[in-house]
Amino acid sequence: METLLIIAVLLPLAAAFLTFLFPSNKPGAIRALAILATGMSLFLTLYIFSQFDRQNAGYQFVTNAGKGIEWLPSLGVSLKFGVDGISMTLLLLVGIVSFCGALVSHEIHDRQKEYYILFLALTTGISGTFCTTDMFFFYFFYEMAVIPMYLLIGMYGSLPPGKHGRTKEYATMKLTLYLTAGAVLALIGLLAMYFAGGKTFDMVELKRNLQLAGATQKWVFACLLFGFGFLASMWPFHTWSPIGYAAAPTAASMMHAGVLKKLGAYGIIRLALPLLPEGARHWANLLAILACFNILYAGWAALTQKDWKFVIGYSSVSHMGYVLLGIATLNVVGVSGAVLLMFAHGVMAALTFSLIGFFYHQTHNRMVPDLSGLARKIPFIGVCMVMAVMASSGLPGFANFVSEVMVFIGAWSQGSTLFRVATICAVWGIVVTATYLLWAVRTSFFGPFDEKWNMLKDATTPWQKLPFVLLLVVLLTVGFCPRLLTNIIQQSVAAAVLKVEVAPVTKVAEVRR
Amino acid sequence: MTALGAIQLECGMVALALLTLLADAFRPMADKRRLGYILATAVAVLLIYSFTLQAQATTYFHGMYRLDTLALYFKRLFLVATLLVLVMGAEFSERFESGVAEFYALVLLAATGMLLTGSVNDFVLMFVALELVTITFYILTSFLRRQVQSLEAGTKYLILGALSSGFTVYGIAYIFGTTGTTNFDMLAATLKSGTTGPAFTLGMLLVMTGLGFKIASVPFQIWAPDVYQGAPTPVTAFLAVGSKAAGFALLLRVLLVGLLPVSALWTTLVLVLAAATLLYGNLGALPQTNIKRLLGYSSIGHAGYLLMGVAAVNALGAGAVLFYLGQYAFTNLCAFLAIIAVTNATKNDEIAGFAGLGRRSPVLGLALFLALMSLAGVPPLSGFFGKFQLFAAVIERAQTDGQYYVLAGIGALAVVISLYFYLNVAKAIYLQEPAAGAAPIPVSRPMRAALYFCMAAMIGLGIFQRPLVEAAVKAAKVFQLN
Repeated sequence: METLLIIAVLLPLAAAFLTFLFPSNKPGAIRALAILATGMSLFLTLYIFSQFDRQNAGYQFVTNAGKGIEWLPSLGVSLKFGVDGISMTLLLLVGIVSFCGALVSHEIHDRQKEYYILFLALTTGISGTFCTTDMFFFYFFYEMAVIPMYLLIGMYGSLPPGKHGRTKEYATMKLTLYLTAGAVLALIGLLAMYFAGGKTFDMVELKRNLQLAGATQKWVFACLLFGFGFLASMWPFHTWSPIGYAAAPTAASMMHAGVLKKLGAYGIIRLALPLLPEGARHWANLLAILACFNILYAGWAALTQKDWKFVIGYSSVSHMGYVLLGIATLNVVGVSGAVLLMFAHGVMAALTFSLIGFFYHQTHNRMVPDLSGLARKIPFIGVCMVMAVMASSGLPGFANFVSEVMVFIGAWSQGSTLFRVATICAVWGIVVTATYLLWAVRTSFFGPFDEKWNMLKDATTPWQKLPFVLLLVVLLTVGFCPRLLTNIIQQSVAAAVLKVEVAPVTKVAEVRR
Repeated sequence: MTALGAIQLECGMVALALLTLLADAFRPMADKRRLGYILATAVAVLLIYSFTLQAQATTYFHGMYRLDTLALYFKRLFLVATLLVLVMGAEFSERFESGVAEFYALVLLAATGMLLTGSVNDFVLMFVALELVTITFYILTSFLRRQVQSLEAGTKYLILGALSSGFTVYGIAYIFGTTGTTNFDMLAATLKSGTTGPAFTLGMLLVMTGLGFKIASVPFQIWAPDVYQGAPTPVTAFLAVGSKAAGFALLLRVLLVGLLPVSALWTTLVLVLAAATLLYGNLGALPQTNIKRLLGYSSIGHAGYLLMGVAAVNALGAGAVLFYLGQYAFTNLCAFLAIIAVTNATKNDEIAGFAGLGRRSPVLGLALFLALMSLAGVPPLSGFFGKFQLFAAVIERAQTDGQYYVLAGIGALAVVISLYFYLNVAKAIYLQEPAAGAAPIPVSRPMRAALYFCMAAMIGLGIFQRPLVEAAVKAAKVFQLN
């Protein structure tokens, strides 16, 4: 089983190397290989999920019984993978989104070979980060995901001229520099933990060994929080995000908004919370405040956008606010809600971006006011878009509803006035979200039909419909049966977050002594 | 092993250089390229032969010369660099009007000096090795005799180099005058037992001035961009890889062997120099439009990263410097190989001339892109792991000395800045379209082989770091650090 996990993670990378050997005049074969690799990876992930022990909160399918493959003994690095409830959920997300991303990539007509190499390398970078239990490889995969994104956006993206006056080159450079800045900031914190934790990169061992003084914890946590926060598009470091998505090709937007962004929040949950409990309590209030800015500021920014992709881009920044608020609660319900929301939002964002990509590919225009009555010509896409918008606005029946409610409960039950106010802000944020999304979908899909869109073709073949249907089915399945994921998430969060809740008690005990 | 046996690699290199000159005098070769390939093969044989040599515990030539693991590590590094520079020289040779054989001979002589620097255990031999490298480079930098830029580069390098050599000798005299020895081991023993005065400190600073010039660290970096831009490209590459590594070989021996007992005197200085060099090199590279000049600034920046490892004064840092130099050779030479191939066709060093390289020649585009990304420190390339180790070394030191966190922070900032200008070149390669009518760029077979070799090394060492890390760690055991 542990071998299957390694294969599921590394298969896309292997396919990328294989693609490298392909002649570039065979785009069909290259595309088929990419779909096959991501599909196989998804299948393996589903199989692993089916074999997942739902009673076990710790890491499962760990490589070589937790010892891993010895990589650099002098530094204490070994290649090891393992999944618990949190990473299992996110691995599923990568599998689904990357498969759908490969499916919708038929819109790429130039330099396909390079495109699929980058796409596949990106996929492994992301899933590797979610699954490795070695901090060195965590960072390795994390950084590996950044540069393919630069080229994907720069080479294949498009940014219609607008008031912003920017080019896709600007967008992709900004994105890359922001993410790298965050990554190196986090690296300093990670290395400080490495030396304080007895020179081991093993996350399990670190959790056991690491005893940092309160003052040190505070600044190391700040390094990780802001470092990973860059990638999680935490306000005020979010500005790379909407323009980056707007400029990216469809599949890159899906991967970035859907999964890459979640790496930031995952880093905080996986490393910062369990290893630095005192630091977490110190920064929780500030994080909650920033999360509210995310929700409301980005929400209001989305209200003024005209470009579909900017609307969804700001919307996704706003949704990351809920995730950050969930993390800030430091209780099981809230953090679990954050993890489930990462999953739900990932699927939903991928769905929305793929739908936008579908009609933008034909209209070459995605300005909301220019589009009108599209649903008459492309009813299937219209229906999917309405469902995506409903999911995004947190309507019951979709996974987003469950996770957002969990975040609200977690935040409210945290008890302090600050968090109560934050909860109210967050609930208000849902109203804002519904406002701009409903406006966008009503204007462009309903209303009088404009004859110039007569040439639009709907998704007709099963292959075209598959990505949209798959993403919707996932949203609805988890929405109706959230226990499928919440059970395993909550267990693992309790195990990972437990230290946070116990911390005050031990501190009191220390003082008494 | 006899003393002569200990210097057999140096002897082989000198013999090769003299043979080249003799052969050229009697039977000059019509094909300028072929000689380069023959010599590259000969150096490859030397490289393979070097792996049969064993590290020796004893010293040679009255304690002046060592053949320990560190020396062997550097010698192999220099042999690889020479090998690739000869291939580069062969590609470039069409642009020399005359004296191609002399060019190769000078490269080999400079390589001899570098081989010596790896083994230096005495200030006197250090000076000899340093001068052998530097004087040959004076000629090499101005080898394009009719190009004003090349002559300018040679003159600049000559004047500043001569000045810094003067400082070095002056400093050695002060150190000898205060401690009574020029030998590194004896110096360390003397310093351990005795106290030092201002005269000794002055001598130490003057020696560091000379070495700072070699590695192009602030405040002795001014020459680097001009010389890098003006010199013939293979010479630039050799300067960036060989000469810099030679400077670090000496710096490591001087600071971490000879002057280790008085490390308190110089650590703060090296720390400040590292920070200043990082910022100067990386900020200075931002507005550059010429690729060789850009790499000149980038090379200053990399001296800053390497100084981070020296400033840490721990085993991890010394090993990290050695690993970094090793992978830096492949990375930088890969970049220069690609640049030579492109500029041979376009006759244009400007970054704008690389527009659409990904379409004009996928191999060259990929090689240059990977090299730049490795220089920027992006996984899964070797530069990433080099930087990772250097940061780890600094953070380890920071556990006891908080000011090192500032250095790590500046290093982190430098990484972000450097990514910007490296990506600007990447933008030209992949994001921009080639100029109208731009033809595909031909790549010769040896060039292709060298490029694939470098790319394989970058990716291989980036993913499977262990062999080089272990070699570096073993070599770094020479320094008694923990």
